[in-house]
Parts: sequence; C-alpha cells; structure tokens
Amino acid sequence: MNKKTTQNISVQIDGKTINAPVGTTVLQAAQKAGIYIPTLCYLENIKPYGGCRLCIVEIKNMRAYPTACTTPIAQDMEISTKTPELQKLRREILELILSEHPYTCLICIDKNNCNEFMTTTRKVSVTTGCNFCANNGNCELQDLVEYLELTEIKYPWAYKEIKPEKNNPFYDIDYNLCILCGRCVRICNEVRYSEVLDFVQRGNSVIVGTAFGESQKDAGCEFCGACIDVCPTGSLSEKMGKWVGIPDKSIETTCVFCSVGCKMNINIKDNRIVNVGPKPGNRTNPLQLCVRGKFVPGDIMFHPERITTPLIKKENKWIEVSWDEAINFTVNKLEQYRGNQFGVISSAHESLENNYVLQKFSRKLMKSNNVDLVSSFPDKNIIKKIHEYYTHHKPANIENITNADTIFVIGSQTNLSHPIIENRIRKAAKNGKKIIVANTHDTRTSYFAEQNILYKQGEEHTFLLSLLFVLNNKDSGKLSNELKQEFNNFDIEKVFKHCGVSRQDIEKIVKSLLNSKNPVIIAGDGILINPYSIFNFNTLVNIQTILKKPETCKIIFLLNEGNFYGSTIAGLHPDLLPGFDELASEKNIKKWSDNWKTDLNNTKGLSGNEMVNNIAKDGITALFVVGDIPAHPNLAKLKFLVQQNMFLTELSEHVHVFFPITGFTETNGHIINLERKLKEIIPVTAPAKDVKTVWETISNLARAMQEKGFDYKKPEDIFSEINSFIDLSFATEEKAKKEILPVRADVSVKKKKLPVEIISENNYFNYLGNDLLELIPDMEDILGEVVSGSSSGSSSGSSSGSGSI
Amino acid sequence: MKDTIDAILKKHIPKEKGNLIPVLQSVQKKKGYISPESVNRISNYFRISRSSIYGVATFYSQFRFNPPGRHSIKICLGTACHVQGGDFILKALQAEIGISPGETTDDMRFDLDRVACLGCCALAPVVMINNKIHSRMSVIKLKELLNKYE
Ligand code: SF4
Ligand code: SF4
Ligand code: SF4
Ligand code: SF4
Ligand code: FES
Ligand code: FES
Repeated sequence: MNKKTTQNISVQIDGKTINAPVGTTVLQAAQKAGIYIPTLCYLENIKPYGGCRLCIVEIKNMRAYPTACTTPIAQDMEISTKTPELQKLRREILELILSEHPYTCLICIDKNNCNEFMTTTRKVSVTTGCNFCANNGNCELQDLVEYLELTEIKYPWAYKEIKPEKNNPFYDIDYNLCILCGRCVRICNEVRYSEVLDFVQRGNSVIVGTAFGESQKDAGCEFCGACIDVCPTGSLSEKMGKWVGIPDKSIETTCVFCSVGCKMNINIKDNRIVNVGPKPGNRTNPLQLCVRGKFVPGDIMFHPERITTPLIKKENKWIEVSWDEAINFTVNKLEQYRGNQFGVISSAHESLENNYVLQKFSRKLMKSNNVDLVSSFPDKNIIKKIHEYYTHHKPANIENITNADTIFVIGSQTNLSHPIIENRIRKAAKNGKKIIVANTHDTRTSYFAEQNILYKQGEEHTFLLSLLFVLNNKDSGKLSNELKQEFNNFDIEKVFKHCGVSRQDIEKIVKSLLNSKNPVIIAGDGILINPYSIFNFNTLVNIQTILKKPETCKIIFLLNEGNFYGSTIAGLHPDLLPGFDELASEKNIKKWSDNWKTDLNNTKGLSGNEMVNNIAKDGITALFVVGDIPAHPNLAKLKFLVQQNMFLTELSEHVHVFFPITGFTETNGHIINLERKLKEIIPVTAPAKDVKTVWETISNLARAMQEKGFDYKKPEDIFSEINSFIDLSFATEEKAKKEILPVRADVSVKKKKLPVEIISENNYFNYLGNDLLELIPDMEDILGEVVSGSSSGSSSGSSSGSGSI
Repeated sequence: MKDTIDAILKKHIPKEKGNLIPVLQSVQKKKGYISPESVNRISNYFRISRSSIYGVATFYSQFRFNPPGRHSIKICLGTACHVQGGDFILKALQAEIGISPGETTDDMRFDLDRVACLGCCALAPVVMINNKIHSRMSVIKLKELLNKYE
C-alpha cells in the first residue's frame, strides 16, 4: 500500500492493541493479529457480503452485533470476538443454517469412528450426511460445528428436494447441500466475470442457479472451477478425485499449457493427483486458473491410454522392451545418420532444460542444426522479432493489463487461448477502462468492449496499415515523416475497403490510443499466425513508436504454448543457437563450439517444414520427434523415426522406436512465460518406473554413443549449464541496447498465401501435440463446437485456423 | 420478436439497473412471458448478466418464463386448500400433465401456476382454469375436468 495515503489507527481486539490502516475491517484486523473469528460467506479480496452472520462481534458503545467482515475499524474501538453471548448466538445461527442441511452425521457422537466402515455406501447418489459427501473431512461446516461445539440441532432436517446435477462436465452439483453463502456467485461474477451464476427464485425457494435453469455449459460456464474451489460445502464437487479422500500433500508448480504460466497448486494422495485446487481448508483466496490448468493435469497424467514402457516396432507390431534395449536399438540406428540428414522436432510445452539438451544432442553429437519446434507460426522469424523487441522494450507483465486505461485486443480469441489474460481484460473493463476489440468475428471479449471492430477475414494487415496511416497523419516526428514518404500515393480509401473497417471507426481507435496514458496492445493469433506476421509486427511497433509512449505503452504478443520463448532461447530454432545467437555468424559457431568443447557444423538448419519436405529427396533420413507432428505421407519414407510422447498418435504409425515421456507435473525444470519471467516447474507425482524425461533419454543415448558433455545427474545440472552461458535474468541486455528498433513499413497491399505445406489444426487444447478433446471426453463436451467453430470463423481463413511445423 | 424488444428497450433510457423491472414488465405484457431471447437482448442492452436478470425476475411472482398455454391452470395452495389436500391435487396434476408450476406443456395445451388464496376458501380445495373456479376438487374430478379442455 501507498505509505503517504494510509493512516494507521489502533483498536483493541480481545484486549490486544492492534494497529491497522484506515479502511481495514474488523475481521482483517483480527486476522492480522492472529485472532480467529469464524466466517462462512467471507472471501478474501472480494467485496464482503455479510450474509452468514457468523462473524458477529461485540463492539463497545455499538448496539446489536455488527458483522466483522463488513465493519471497518475506527480509532479506539474495543472489540470482543468470543464472549459466551456471541458463541451462543453463533451456535443458533449455525443451527438455523444447518436445519436445511443433511446434518445427522455432523452431530452424531459416533462420527469419528464411522468413516472407515462406510467407504462403499459413500457413492450413493443423494448425500444424506457427511459420510455420503465428497467434502467429508475438508468441510467448513464440520469445522464450525467443532469450533462451536454444537452437539444438537433443535430443528428437524428440511430436505430441499433438489435434483442433484450429474450431467455437467468436470463437476457435480447438489444444491441440497448449499448454504447460500454466495461465494460461488461472487467469484463467478466479481472475479471471473463469467456471469453464469446468481441467486434465483424467492423466499424459501431461493437457490443458486443459472438463467432459466440452463445447464452450466448453455449458461456460458467456462469451467474455470473457481466456484468449486471456494464452496465451503460439498454442494459443488469435482468429478475427478471426488471419493479419493483428503490429499496427503499439496505442491505448487507452474502450468505450461499456455504462455501465461499460472501458478497452480496440485493436491496429491498416494502419488496420484486428487485435483488442482486450493490446499485443503484453504478456500477463500484460491489461485485463478482456467479449464486447462484446473482439470487437465489430473485427467491426462493418469490417462488409461498413456504409454509407460518403451516400444519398438517389429513387423508392424509394437513390442514392449526395456530401456536398455530401446536405447541400444536407437543408438545403432542413429550412428548411421549423423550429419545433415538428421533432425529434431520438439514441443514448446517442454522445459528449457529438456529442449536445451535435445538441441545440444542434435548439434554437438549428431552434427545437425536441423532443430525446430512444432508451432503454428508461418514465419519462424517472428520469435526473433519478438526477442529483439524485448531488448528495447521491457516485456509487459500481466498486471499491466489491469492497470492500463485503454486495452486494444487484436485478432485474439483470448478467452480460449489465454483465459487468464482475458480475465485481466474483463477486470479492466469492469473498472471502467476502455476496451477495443478487433477480430473477424464476435468473441466473448466483445461483450466487454466499448468499441468492437469486425474486419474482413485475412485482412489483419490492411486493418493495421490503415490504423498506422491515420495515426501517422496526425504526427510529425522523425519516423512519421519518413513514413509519410512511403505513404506517398497511397490509396487509403482502397485499404479501408479492403479491411472492411470505416474511416470513422479507425479514427475513433486512433483517438483512444492518442488519449490514453498507458495503453496495452494485445496481439493474438490473428496477427502472429498470419502470412503477414512480420508485416503486422512491424506495423504494430511503428504504431507504438508514433504514440511516443515507449515506457507506458505495452504490446503483448500472445505466444501459445507455455515455453515458446524459453524453448527458443534454449536453442530449438533452425537459425538460432541458444541465447538467440545467429547460427549464420562464424563468431557464434566458435562461441558454442568452445562452450560445448566440440566443432559445430555450420550448415544452415532446416525448419520442421523443410525437414519433412526434404525427406522425399533423401535430404532427411532420421527424425527425433518429441510430442507429435502432423501426419504427412513423406514420413513413411524415413529410414528412422523416434517419437517420445505420452500417447501413440497418428505419427506413431511411421515410428520405429517410441519412448514414454514424463508430463510437466512429473519433472523439474523451467519455462519462460509471456512476461519473459523464468518460472519453475516442480514434480508433484513420480512418473511410472519406465517413463523418463527428454534429458534422461537423450543423456542415455549420448552416453551410449560415447559422447562427453551429457553427464547430467539432475535437471539442476542442465540449468546451471544454461545459466553459465546465457543470462536468463536478462539484466545485462536491458542496459546494453537502447536504440530505436529499425522498422520499415511495407505499404504495398498484396495478397499473400501462407508459406506452409503442412497444415495442422491450431488447437489450444493440446499438450505435447496430443489432442485434449480426444483424450478427455468432458473437454470435447464443452469445446467440441467452439473449437471447430472458431477455426472456421477465425481470422485469416486457412491461415489462422491452422498451423505448420 | 427482436423488434418488439428493441422498441421496449428504446423507451427505457438510461441503461440503468433501475429500469430493468419496468422493461421486464413491458416484455411480459407484450409477449405474455419472459423468453430466453428477450433476456439475451436485455442483457446486451443493460450489460447485466443473464443470470442476474433471471435472478431479479424470479424474485417477483408476476413474471412467467414460459409461453402461456391455451388453458391456464391455477392451483390454490392457500391455507384452507392446503389443509384440504391442495398439494396432493398438485402432485396428481403434475403427474397427469407432466409439468411443474411455472411451466407449459410441450403441446401448449396447459400452463400451470400455484396461487396463495383464491378467496373462496369454503370451497377448498380449489383449482382455477381460465378464470373459472372449480371447487371441492378431487383427483378423479380433476382428471375428468381436464378432458374438457382441448
Ligand atoms: S457439506 Fe460438510 S457438513 Fe455437509 S454433508 Fe458434506 S461434509 Fe457434511
Ligand atoms: S466454473 Fe467458473 S464460469 Fe463456471 S460457474 Fe463456476 S466460476 Fe462460473
Ligand atoms: S453452492 Fe457452495 S459456494 Fe455456492 S452458495 Fe452454495 S454453499 Fe455457497
Ligand atoms: S491461463 Fe494458461 S497457464 Fe493459466 S491455467 Fe490456463 S492454460 Fe494454464
Ligand atoms: S463472514 Fe461475515 S457475514 Fe458471513
Ligand atoms: S386457500 Fe384456497 S381459496 Fe383460500
């Protein structure tokens, strides 16, 4: 908090003197001093609701019993929190709450012994007591009954006769257990802005519900699971892990599904994921995740189809083999294909460490610079551009979005691709900030927009160009004067027509941007996965430069997979050695040859696309694929194909050796997210015995091939090696370069096609190339139409709805 | 449909929450009920979530959320009728026509609502169909009665 504006006042709570800033509530002051006041409806960081009245306190010279969660402190207040009178009232309040709740187990004298004998009856469909409830043992009502020593309830139990809902994806609802605390309603509306839930009906029938009693999905639920996380009762419960019981461990790690890199807490029992969610008993301020972070890890890591032993294909059949056998088999083959005929294609879901070792193996041992990531970017240079940009402009952090006064979102389906970014956009909108959304079609973000622009399909570049033109005309700086030369004889009316956006609308955007003190521009897939990606990039940077707000105007480039930037800095790029060092420079070849004590091949590397194309000409004879690449007829012609993945995929048909791979919850490592922050991933469960990480697999191969420099014992060894060569804190770089980015606006408006041959669905819902919709039926349920619908309706037709390797 | 709602919305400026109830009342008057489509339109206009509009609307007993049927059945559950087995009649009726209070049958033949007291407690239990009072109801009488309404 800001020191100048906050003034401390002192109050007495239970005789203890406490200093707290003006505006603090009695509850917060008490919590700060370690004094417990029971609560039920209170949620940290959300406007207090004052609904349950369990937090009542006595305040000297104040009548009645104010609720601690809604009452602000005042100088010299004398507050008591636990008088016998208060405890008695609280017991009565709790009794009333419980009169509509299956309370029998709560007050049963045998409750502690009962658990172990009841395990099977627990799965009955109607919850008639704690022993039939998924919340048992991690329940705020149980805690309160214990705390208030409630041993009997004078009212008969009034069963609400509400049909439990078991048909929703991912979670079950049984409002018979609901105590109307309103936490789910508030988190859904005030934190997630999904606006699915509210109190409906009146009088005795009041209940939480959706409009017209629609299913969660029809009502627009985004399955973020926030409501489940905060529910104090068993009313909302995750299907997975429902009857597993109380977790024995909770571990925090980082989600790698998208480049936000959210912190996630995973609860575990007996080396199994119980769920992703708050630690038991820790509901009021859970970490915010999206459907992928919340529900995918548990489902995918223990998926029944997961491959857990190495496989070798013999006579078109998969044979399970030992690691030794698989390694020996692979080594014998690889020995024959050293040099430019070998290639590696990996996934940006893999860690810095894994991808570093992988490319080092290819370059140092296999003497091939053919290394690439599966990506949807038609132009590999875009990541280089973004990196260059970062060396001049400090990358934005996510909270820049919340604090911006104007947010301009272009070509992004943010609610699907980066839901936590979407969340910050919505938060800004709710705080009255100006949101401008531009896309080919309406998105969920449009609902929050002050200005919603629809441009024609595939016309991102002309849209941006017209913005630049109009903005440029209002400026007379050095750059804009140069640009004016280029714009000479430029037919702006034609460009307006091209993109389908009127001059008026463009003027309005320009005005908003000029008036803004700290705009944030968010560039999504429509901009980056586009034949004009570099053009779009340049145009955006020009716009930013002309706005003359280099420190306060931020552009956020929405890379998809969690570790795209990190994997590139690790060296998984055909033109770039680790640290974004250009392969084309002899100096860099020498530097990395010295680093790795070897003589590196200086032949230009092939991109994934080129590798697959070159198979036909026998340019490429062996490939090592981590994850998956789109099926292509050429792949059948490979002499040797290795795949390391969690599941067999279409590609596996052509594979000769298959290594099972660890998931991100089973290994140590790092990723670099879209804020360019280094984030740690931490193992939460041990992988199956025969499942190994990429670095273990590669180190085994390298050792069997008698190569030095791969004696890693643990991921930390790899990390310190990377760190000794590359400054991952980026501290030196920011000091070093400060000149203006060289930008050139190519003002010709020609039609371009995507320069790709291998097209794959650009699906945010994949992990290591495995389709989550295929693997998780509930995911298919909620997204089946959305994903196929969005790719057909998305920005550049075949370009943005698709990708290449 | 869309035009009617738009016309109603246009009359209610500013776009404030306070205007929500009057809009809902006008929609109900014009359309006979509040449909999901109307709520969508209202939601976009006022920028209030659909669930919260529905929450507000269900708070008042005056709003219906289903199109009216050809015949409206109102079943009395006031004290006298309740004592005389009104809710038993309601259960039987629900089983017979397959809908709950507030709903309309798929064939649009009946809609069903409960009311608190129809003011003729002496005749309890009472059912009203299209404003006509039917007194001293029994399950058998009710079944026969329904046959008269096509
Ligand atoms: S919600 Fe809590 S008190 Fe209620 S049945 Fe479940 S475990 Fe028991
Ligand atoms: S899962 Fe998320 S979007 Fe769905 S109801 Fe719960 S809080 Fe709202
Ligand atoms: S469902 Fe849970 S969180 Fe929501 S009001 Fe009921 S008890 Fe509270
Ligand atoms: S927003 Fe991205 S990083 Fe966060 S939980 Fe979702 S997929 Fe994971
Ligand atoms: S916690 Fe204060 S009223 Fe519920
Ligand atoms: S209670 Fe039914 S008519 Fe009065």
